Amino acid sequence: MLYIVGLGLGDEKDITVKGLEAVKSCNRIYLEHYTAILTVPKERLEALYGKPVLLADREMVESDLNSILEGADKVNVAFLVVGDPYGATTHTDLVLRAKELNIPVTSIHNASIMNAVGCCGLQLYNYGQTISIVFFLDNWRPDSFYDKIKQNRNIKLHTLCLLDIKVKEQSIENMARGRKIYEPPRYMTVNQAVEQLLEVEDNRKENVYNRNTIAVGMSRVGAPDQRIIAGTLEELLDADFGEPLHSLVLAGEMHFLEADSLRQYAINVDTFNKYAQVSDH
Amino acid sequence: MDKRTNIRNMSVIAHVDHGKSTLSDSLVAKAGIIAGARAGDARYMDTRQDEIDRGITIKSTAISLHFSMPAEDMGEIKQKTDGNDFLINLIDSPGHVDFSSEVTAALRVTDGALVVVDTIDGVCVQTETVLRQALGERIKPVIVINKVDKEALYTTFRNTIENVNVVIATYHIDALGDTQVAPEKGTVCFGSGLHGWAFTLRQFAALYSKKFGVPKEKMMTKLWGDNYFNPATKKWTTKAQADDGKMLERAFNMFVLDPIYKLFDSIMNFKKEQTAVLLEKLNIVLKSDEREQEGKVLLKTVMRTFLPAADALLEMMCIHLPSPVTAQRYRMEGLYEGPHDDECAVAIRDCDPEGPLMLYVSKMVPTSDKGRFYAFGRVFAGTVRAGQKVRIQGPNYIPGKKDDLFVKNIQRTVLMMGRTVEAIEDCPCGNIVGLVGIDQFLLKSGTLTTSETAHNLKVMKFSVSPVVQIAVEVKNANDLPKLVEGLKRLSKSDPCVLCYTSDSGEHIVAGAGELHLEICLKDLEEDHAGVPLRKGDPVVQFRETVQAESSIVCLSKSPNKHNRIFMKAHPMVEELSSDIEAGKISPKDDFKIRARILADEYEWDVTDARKIWCFGPETTGANLLVDITKGVQFMNEIKDSCVSGFQWATKEGCLADENMRSIRFNIMDVVLHADAIHRGGGQLIPTARRVVFASFLTASPALQEPVYLVEIQCPETAIGGIFTVLNRRRGVLIGQEQKAGTPLFNVRAYLPVMESFGFTGDLRAATGGQAFPQCVFDHWQVMPTNPLEKGSKTNEIILNVRKRKGLKIETPLLEDFYDKL
Repeated sequence: MLYIVGLGLGDEKDITVKGLEAVKSCNRIYLEHYTAILTVPKERLEALYGKPVLLADREMVESDLNSILEGADKVNVAFLVVGDPYGATTHTDLVLRAKELNIPVTSIHNASIMNAVGCCGLQLYNYGQTISIVFFLDNWRPDSFYDKIKQNRNIKLHTLCLLDIKVKEQSIENMARGRKIYEPPRYMTVNQAVEQLLEVEDNRKENVYNRNTIAVGMSRVGAPDQRIIAGTLEELLDADFGEPLHSLVLAGEMHFLEADSLRQYAINVDTFNKYAQVSDH
Repeated sequence: MDKRTNIRNMSVIAHVDHGKSTLSDSLVAKAGIIAGARAGDARYMDTRQDEIDRGITIKSTAISLHFSMPAEDMGEIKQKTDGNDFLINLIDSPGHVDFSSEVTAALRVTDGALVVVDTIDGVCVQTETVLRQALGERIKPVIVINKVDKEALYTTFRNTIENVNVVIATYHIDALGDTQVAPEKGTVCFGSGLHGWAFTLRQFAALYSKKFGVPKEKMMTKLWGDNYFNPATKKWTTKAQADDGKMLERAFNMFVLDPIYKLFDSIMNFKKEQTAVLLEKLNIVLKSDEREQEGKVLLKTVMRTFLPAADALLEMMCIHLPSPVTAQRYRMEGLYEGPHDDECAVAIRDCDPEGPLMLYVSKMVPTSDKGRFYAFGRVFAGTVRAGQKVRIQGPNYIPGKKDDLFVKNIQRTVLMMGRTVEAIEDCPCGNIVGLVGIDQFLLKSGTLTTSETAHNLKVMKFSVSPVVQIAVEVKNANDLPKLVEGLKRLSKSDPCVLCYTSDSGEHIVAGAGELHLEICLKDLEEDHAGVPLRKGDPVVQFRETVQAESSIVCLSKSPNKHNRIFMKAHPMVEELSSDIEAGKISPKDDFKIRARILADEYEWDVTDARKIWCFGPETTGANLLVDITKGVQFMNEIKDSCVSGFQWATKEGCLADENMRSIRFNIMDVVLHADAIHRGGGQLIPTARRVVFASFLTASPALQEPVYLVEIQCPETAIGGIFTVLNRRRGVLIGQEQKAGTPLFNVRAYLPVMESFGFTGDLRAATGGQAFPQCVFDHWQVMPTNPLEKGSKTNEIILNVRKRKGLKIETPLLEDFYDKL
């Protein structure tokens, strides 16, 4: 049996009881280590489970799935994912491959940023398409998310922006040489995301959002030191969010209760009141 | 130096052994650097011991000379001048094809070329090559017919001049104006470098114009072509037969060649009295000690007094070759990569010493200080000074970016004087200069400027490519660091040589031919590294190509399986690939104009031709990546990744890690993840590479090998031996003709480079040392047999190359690159 287990957002103790039981029954335990990171080191997981945990990086999950799936039809194997197993679309391939090999798969769900984002006060059913913002490079500045934000904002929905993380990425040169030398990990901050958003608006000029658009930045949601700060994009440009991971929500039109919740996190209540779009009805 | 209109920058170019260095000696002697008597033997411009030993030039050498033009002749100069003192910057270049990159580097910094042609050999393969290069660089040629001391005739001269003009016409460039050479215009010089004499028709015209009372210019036209003088009637005519039926002698023979031959005859046959009469008639005054001389020595003295080579040559250069001011006006467009109206372009065009500095470093010259180099180049605009802070822009510099850019101070500026240098404080535009202190910031060549917005001066295009390579290793393991350092220095000191380390850790030196490699390795061993080396067998580079369209549409999936690229490979016609390699079609062209050419000349679909994403490898090679998808979103966001994957794949092909060539890759369709985070470079670069390989493997892959054009001059008796050797080495004969008026034959053949190792020696043995080949890279040739078929000849080759490079010794499999839907 292949267990795909969500670990939740905080520390090792966020795993569900069902998940913990499943993990304890497994011969091998892999921790997926590149779409998100835990706030605690893997040793804490090992102490809790009483078993060794293997780190699975991008290369292993994408190019060497067979070693993970090996023998999973006879013994139990756990594949741990930070957040929820299906929070990102990345792991559908694993499920497909397992099915091909007639390996039974059980998923154990958990909290993900996709639902925990509700903590800021913007209600989950008012969100539109989720977008990702990638690190811009000198000559690679993809801005297709702009169109999605536009669609969301046209129908007054909030937009959850997931921010790029780069763990164990090779430079192009090292990739070409086949050298396993990896760049230092990088995590996008809310400040960088806002900067890139504004750059795209400056280029496209379709007035989808502007420097006064209300947004809310969150960091380490689910951890004891989580931070939630609301304000205009301008204000968020240099707000301090501390350690990774960060997320950002562009607020659409708010219900008054949403606005009330968000206001308590505002950097500046006056500008918040001035620029927040609150529904009249 | 400051009088820009009175500078002449010129290179001496020719086929090997046609007498460039010997002729240059006359000029050096004129400047008083070597004794006149030694001119012709000294080969002052050959500065290296091996050049002297072998009697050939290997490195180009520069020297600056002063020349005062007689005031009465100044009227003949049709461009602006300033006084009658001229500064001549002369660069003597090698004639052997293996070193023609040195010629390219010399041509870039000069405006005119002295093309030397041997009377007997006439126009040879290298004469044509250097002329083509010169015209391509917009360099104006004048010619010297050398070795006239051999038996020579009017018709031989005329044939040679006609042949030169045919080549000039073939590669003519409109911007350069009239470039045809003609004796009556004074752009052809006849002479003997060895004996130190030479003349243009000007000298004789001057001599006779007084006698006949005809203006000099008119006299010059009379002395060439179908002009005859009837001594009986004292009348000029254009008919070879006089009215009384007597055959007349051509004026050129009568007035020009006759006096010379008479001198030869009387001196060499010790007819003292006749000699004295002739000398008097020709106004030749000898010094007292010279009168005692006899035979050859006397002949040399007399001829040099009568018709000093230096005067004839220098006059011809000053009158007919352009000054930097004249030349840069039409050269700018061909030199500058940026817009033709920005401040740098204008300063180059006007040769403005007050403008921003624009200097092109064309090569590195080793200094006496081991491991350091003078950066040798031409100031095209502004003034370069010691201590000046300049931007050093390498060949990969892109304006506005910081790659391949250094900002450093020039320590010193020097004039290159053959074997020595002379320090100078500053050097205005139009001059050739050596710079100290910037060698470590440039690999081989580059642009120096003071303008922050300056684009690069165009990178030189070499006519030879490093197709022959050899692996070197140190004999004592401790010497390895010295070898690595030595390779760096070698790479710097030669414009063409390529030094790199293969993935398997081998140190590879690649050169244009066997001789070039031999010289490079000798330099490396004795000079740059200074440690004993072990050398491998020479090997050639191959190219990987395809011969048919991919049999299926190939698909590769990204590692995360969320993206798919569909692609097909097609062979490109050879003419298109050659045009790309020759720079006629380049990534820098306007895409609309390029699309028009592709549609008109190569039957491309115009819409496809406008969607060429890139050339590769190295963004300039002869493979194309074309986006022919219809209505796919986000294509612009994945373009860069696809281009990187394509560059990588075409540089290191899947057969043997060699460059790909002559393949067009069409992206048929793309299916992408909706979110940018799942279609970044990490996902798409490897995918693009794999799909290129998959479409390559399904398109009848083949190997191409480099082929030389060989030209061999030999007497008739040696031809049989040549054929035997050619046959044994897979050579293909393409032509064989007798040189008009000589017993010599000219044999032309194609010879695979792979078979050329030891060819010269073999040929010498088979012909009793009578045949000398010149090999120049000509084209890539597809090798028969399928490299994917186990046991075939090309399969064996790729396995060997893979072994040498430390790759897995196996034939690549389609399954490794092709994914099922």
